[in-house]
This record gives sequence, structure tokens and C-alpha cells, in this order.
Amino acid sequence: MEVLARIVSVAMVSVFVQNAIFDRAFGSNVVIYASRKNSTVIGFTLGITAMTTIASIISFFVDSALLNTQFGWLFMPLIYAAIIGALYVLALFFFWKVFPKIFRRMRKYVHLAIFNCTVIGALFLNSNYGSDLPSYIGYGFGTGIGFFLACFLLNVAREKLDSDKIPRVFRGYPIMLVYIGVVSLAFYALAGYTADF
Amino acid sequence: MDKKNLPKVSRDGLFRQNIVLMSGLVTAPIIVAATTFERALILTLSFLLISYTSILICRFIPRRIVYTVRILAYVGVAAVMYIPTALLMNAWFPETASHVSMYIEILVVNSLLLAKTESRFYLMPYGEMAIDAFVYVVGYALAAFVVGIIREFLAFGQLFGFRVCDAPMPAAKTTFFGFFLVGILAAVCRAITNHRRRRSENAGIIRKGAE
Repeated sequence: MEVLARIVSVAMVSVFVQNAIFDRAFGSNVVIYASRKNSTVIGFTLGITAMTTIASIISFFVDSALLNTQFGWLFMPLIYAAIIGALYVLALFFFWKVFPKIFRRMRKYVHLAIFNCTVIGALFLNSNYGSDLPSYIGYGFGTGIGFFLACFLLNVAREKLDSDKIPRVFRGYPIMLVYIGVVSLAFYALAGYTADF
Repeated sequence: MDKKNLPKVSRDGLFRQNIVLMSGLVTAPIIVAATTFERALILTLSFLLISYTSILICRFIPRRIVYTVRILAYVGVAAVMYIPTALLMNAWFPETASHVSMYIEILVVNSLLLAKTESRFYLMPYGEMAIDAFVYVVGYALAAFVVGIIREFLAFGQLFGFRVCDAPMPAAKTTFFGFFLVGILAAVCRAITNHRRRRSENAGIIRKGAE
């Protein structure tokens, strides 16, 4: 029960306090792309949540072994890329064998859901702030839920952001960024601080 | 040298397809970490060393290799390129590099490498591709420096590390301000591109409605 409470509390922090998109801007381009349709919101959220959670579990063991070595930090991107790459191949293989119809539909954008800053950023944040396995799992899972929250907030506002009331040069990408900035400001107020980057 | 043999130089990457301000492919480092000119410089050099060299190397990966493996190879090459880049940045900017290290690390999965290599760079002759990719990096540098200089002045009251006044807007170093600023600059960039396009259409240089 204590472990579950720890996972939930860390997940809450990564959703509301250190949201990958609103606090770190990890994968903001992917959020803008994924929020276009309800189906892509769900698809990307499931893909990213599964990736961040499973990769976080694996990275916990890798971090324990390598991060304390003198030059371990230099190889972390390579190792994390290898972890994500292995999961990418396994996921493709799984869907190809078990759900061939879904595989054909998701093939086009599956690499976008996997090789992005949100996934690899979650692993780096875990290596900096994570302390034990439950916190790694909680942070990984929370990052995916935080991504969903960002996608959802963008998805519901998309129609208004594309309306004629918005000046033509702002329509689309620029106003999306400004809107994410407004939501980020709200999250900043909620957290009461921001990371020093 | 015969002019016909020179590779064509496309300036798309500077403004029209700027990867930060127009297509939004590599935004996180600029939005969060480019709060001073020095940080923008570190991000630009890292981007050049990781992405540009990876693109040049990855161009040799044969297209007959399946897409899944090619993507893995791109990320692998970029992750290897990260090692000398991180060592160089820590040697050149020992105080500042550690503050932006996470935003250098995530460059191994940047979309210029993963998306544009497939959709654009593979379709060009090598020399032309090398110049084209470099123009994209210059476009990134322009965006990074503009954002870095503006935020350095607003957040710290400094220009290029020299103090000029009290900080007019300390909140300029926050993430939400980064989103606002990049959004506004994206709109400005779009307005400039549209204006130049209209001017070219009026002058008859390009056909109306043509892409």
C-alpha cells in the first residue's frame, strides 16, 4: 500500500507540478500534432504512457548500475536510446503479430510517439530526481498522463484557436504556443515555483 | 568552377521552414533553456555538432534498409555524437553547460534528424543536402539567439553578459514566457514570410498560389 501511495504521489507531481509539456516543454511539437484528432490523442497518449512507464522501470536498473560511474553520464543518451529503440521494435512486433489492423494504422506515426523529447526527457528527469523504483514508475506513468492532459487541453481549445477571431498570422502554430504558455502560467501558479533551467 | 556544377542553395530553413518558428520541430531547448545569449550559443553549437553531423553521417545509410532500422540508426548516431559534444561544451562553458545539459541530451531525438532526413535530405544530392541542412541549423541559431538576447535583457538586464540596467521583467526566464515569446516570434516570422511572398507574387517572380 505504501508503494502504491508513493507511485500515485510521484505521478501527481509529474502531472501537475512538473508537467513534461507545461513545465519543461518536452514534446510540445508532438502535443500540437497529436491534439488534432481525438483518435490521435488517445493513440499518442497510450503509446507515450506505455513507453515512459516501461522505459522508466528499465532505466531504474541501468541508472543504479551506471550513473555513479565517472563517465556514465556521457553514455546515458546512448543507453536510453537503446532502451527506447528496443521497446519500439518490440511494440511494432507485438502489434504486427497480434493486432495487424492497428499496426497498419499506427505504422505511420508510431515513431513520433516513441522517439520524442517527452519519452527520453522522462528518463533523464528520472535519473536526476528519481530515488527508488516506485518513484521511477510513478514519474514515468505521470509523464504519460501529463501528456494526455496537455493534449486534451489543446484539443478542446483547437476550434477556438483556429477561428476567424484570431489574427491570420497567429492562427495555427503561433497561437497554440501562446495558448500553451497561458496554461503553463496557470500550472506555474499551481506549483508555486519552476525548475531552474 | 562551372556555375552549373555548384549545388543549389535553398534558404527555406532560414525563415519559410524555420524549425523553431515555423515548423516547430525543435522547440523545447529554445523555450526553456535559451534564457541568455551564452545558453543560446551552447544550444546552437550542440545542435550543430549533434544534429548536423548526424545528418551528414546518416545520409550514407542505404534507403533499402527498412524504415524501423533506419530510425534506430539515426538515433544511435546522434547519441554517439552526443559524447564529444558534451565533453566539448563542458570544456568550453564549464559553468553554464551543466544548466542546459538536459536540453543537449534530448537533442538525440530531435525531429530535424528523424523527420527531415527522411522527407527532405534523402531526396537531395549530397552536396546540396549538406548546404540545405546547414541552412536549417543557421535558422535554428537565428531563433535561439533572438530568444536568448531578448530574454537575457528582460530577465537579467544584461546584453551578451554585460549588465545594462535592472532586470525589467524577471519572469522572462520562465517556461511560460518562453512559450509566449516563441509564439509571438513565430507570428512575426510568418508575417515577414507572407509579406515577402506577396512582394514576389506582385513582381511576377513566383506564380500566384504556387507553393
